[in-house]
Amino acid sequence: MLKLMQNEWMKLWHKKGTWTMVALVVLFIIGPGIMLKYYETKEDKTWQQLEQQSIDNYKEILKDDNLSAEDKNHFEDQIAISEYRLANDVPSQDFAGFMSLTGGMLTLVTLFTVIVAASIVSNEFSTGTIKMLLTRPVSRAKILTSKLLTTFIFGLLLFVVNVGVSALVGLILFGGSTGAELEVVNGQVVEKAVWNDLAYHYLLSGGDFVMSILFAFLVGSVFRSSSLAIGLTIFLSFSGGMVVMFLSKFKIVKYIWLTHSDLTQYEHASSILDGITMPFSLTILAIYAVVFLVISYMSFMKRDVTA
Amino acid sequence: MTTQPIVQLQNLSKTIGGKQLIQQLNIDLYPGQITGFLGPNGAGKTTTIRMMTGLMNPTEGKVIIDGVSLQDKYEEAISKVGVIVENPEMYKFMTGYKNLLHFARMHKNVTKERIQEVVRQVGLENRIHEKVSTYSLGMRQRLGLAQALLHRPKFLILDEPTNGLDPAGIREFRMYLRKIAEEDGVSVFVSSHLLSEIELMCDRVAVIQNGKLIDIRDINVETSSFYYIEATPNDQAAALLQKLDYNFVAENNGYVLEIKKEDIPNLIAQFVQEGIQLFAVQPHQKTLEDQFLEMTGGGQIAEANAK
Repeated sequence: MLKLMQNEWMKLWHKKGTWTMVALVVLFIIGPGIMLKYYETKEDKTWQQLEQQSIDNYKEILKDDNLSAEDKNHFEDQIAISEYRLANDVPSQDFAGFMSLTGGMLTLVTLFTVIVAASIVSNEFSTGTIKMLLTRPVSRAKILTSKLLTTFIFGLLLFVVNVGVSALVGLILFGGSTGAELEVVNGQVVEKAVWNDLAYHYLLSGGDFVMSILFAFLVGSVFRSSSLAIGLTIFLSFSGGMVVMFLSKFKIVKYIWLTHSDLTQYEHASSILDGITMPFSLTILAIYAVVFLVISYMSFMKRDVTA
Repeated sequence: MTTQPIVQLQNLSKTIGGKQLIQQLNIDLYPGQITGFLGPNGAGKTTTIRMMTGLMNPTEGKVIIDGVSLQDKYEEAISKVGVIVENPEMYKFMTGYKNLLHFARMHKNVTKERIQEVVRQVGLENRIHEKVSTYSLGMRQRLGLAQALLHRPKFLILDEPTNGLDPAGIREFRMYLRKIAEEDGVSVFVSSHLLSEIELMCDRVAVIQNGKLIDIRDINVETSSFYYIEATPNDQAAALLQKLDYNFVAENNGYVLEIKKEDIPNLIAQFVQEGIQLFAVQPHQKTLEDQFLEMTGGGQIAEANAK
């Protein structure tokens, strides 16, 4: 198995596309970092002056009578936080803020891993190399497993690159600031557990990551078309929310994986559907994951190869 | 042949979509023998080869390799087989050496030294570290042969192996196949549409048509002997042959007649007596092409065998 994965890994890195993906992940972190730093240095005011400026801004907005109660609360909280910062001399934490920002770039990691998952099987068919691969003393199940594991390792590598480069760029550009992220809880300004939140966000993003990969892998190995697999997976991840909305009248919506794959909905306790909980979502996702895998393996192992 | 067959096809049948592509195929292949596999387009050659390599599952029947059923113990059976199915499709984005390394990892006990040895044998030493995308068709064929030989197979299946080789390459290839068949006792099964090639290369031919085996015969064994004679005047020679009661047909400028070797001096004496000028008396061998067309009844594409 290790040798098979070594093979897949070798084939993966001999493609230019793979390196391009890594380069793009890095670029999408360094780029925003430099831009943020640029605007920060152009500003010749101190952070205290900036906080004061935003307090004034928010107050101006609050004078508007048409503001909804929700918005009003939000701006009042912001003012409270800014005043707390000025009173207690706590600047905002740029480094952690930057890490939270690049946490959003995990979508890119998922997208690239989906591309690899979709093409790692179907490319062997389209180039005809599948004949060379399957006439060896290795069972088809092992070959498919090695491809799936390699895809996940690649995904994890991109994730590590994302987090690693974010931390590095954050430290170099914004490091050293001794501030904290604040939030208002029950009318009290408290320090946010920013690192815990970030780790939790990463963990929850894993749901969409795993499901997207398994789905792309399924379509790629059943239909042997990488473009169909990539297209369908991306389409579903963009329109998933819409599909769930359309189906929300029916009970069945609770049992579609699209309703559950975005686990980050539990981060702010604002789930897409009423009455679903994290354990329920995890159960549904696990069932779908097994179904996807079983179909992938069955079709790959039984197929007559005519490529 | 007293030795045990290394490969046995037993009642091999394949039905796809109600069409019986292969019907009850029974063929034995012996060590050290090169067997040609002939048939008009669409006769089922490729389907048979795909079943022999595990790429397709037979609807009925078995392929037994060295006493092990390919269908029941795939990994054990296939480890003795070297395969080139149609064009050897390689990973074009990698070097030839990396391709071989890739396939070597899928077999047990193929060392780096063995890879070097095979590379030398197929004459690719100078270009092995270049990308396969820069190779010519002939070089890809050589690389294809190299990957099939890596694990010292007891049985070699080749589908159109000389496609794209230059005349020197074909000759070298032929000699090489002969060598491994004779020295290592490898059984070789070659399908080709180049009849003259099969004739030069093989000890035996199997001919299939419409999915049925119609003939297996040894090459170079003539049951009755034919001679070609050229004489002037032409009509006088024909009259004499008629008088002597020989079967003969006109061909080119002379006649082909059925005659035993020991009767030839007598025949020549007769010609001289009659004052007929004799220009040539030579053994006439029916080419494989003649035999093939005779057996398959011309060059039509095999009829679809709807059942």
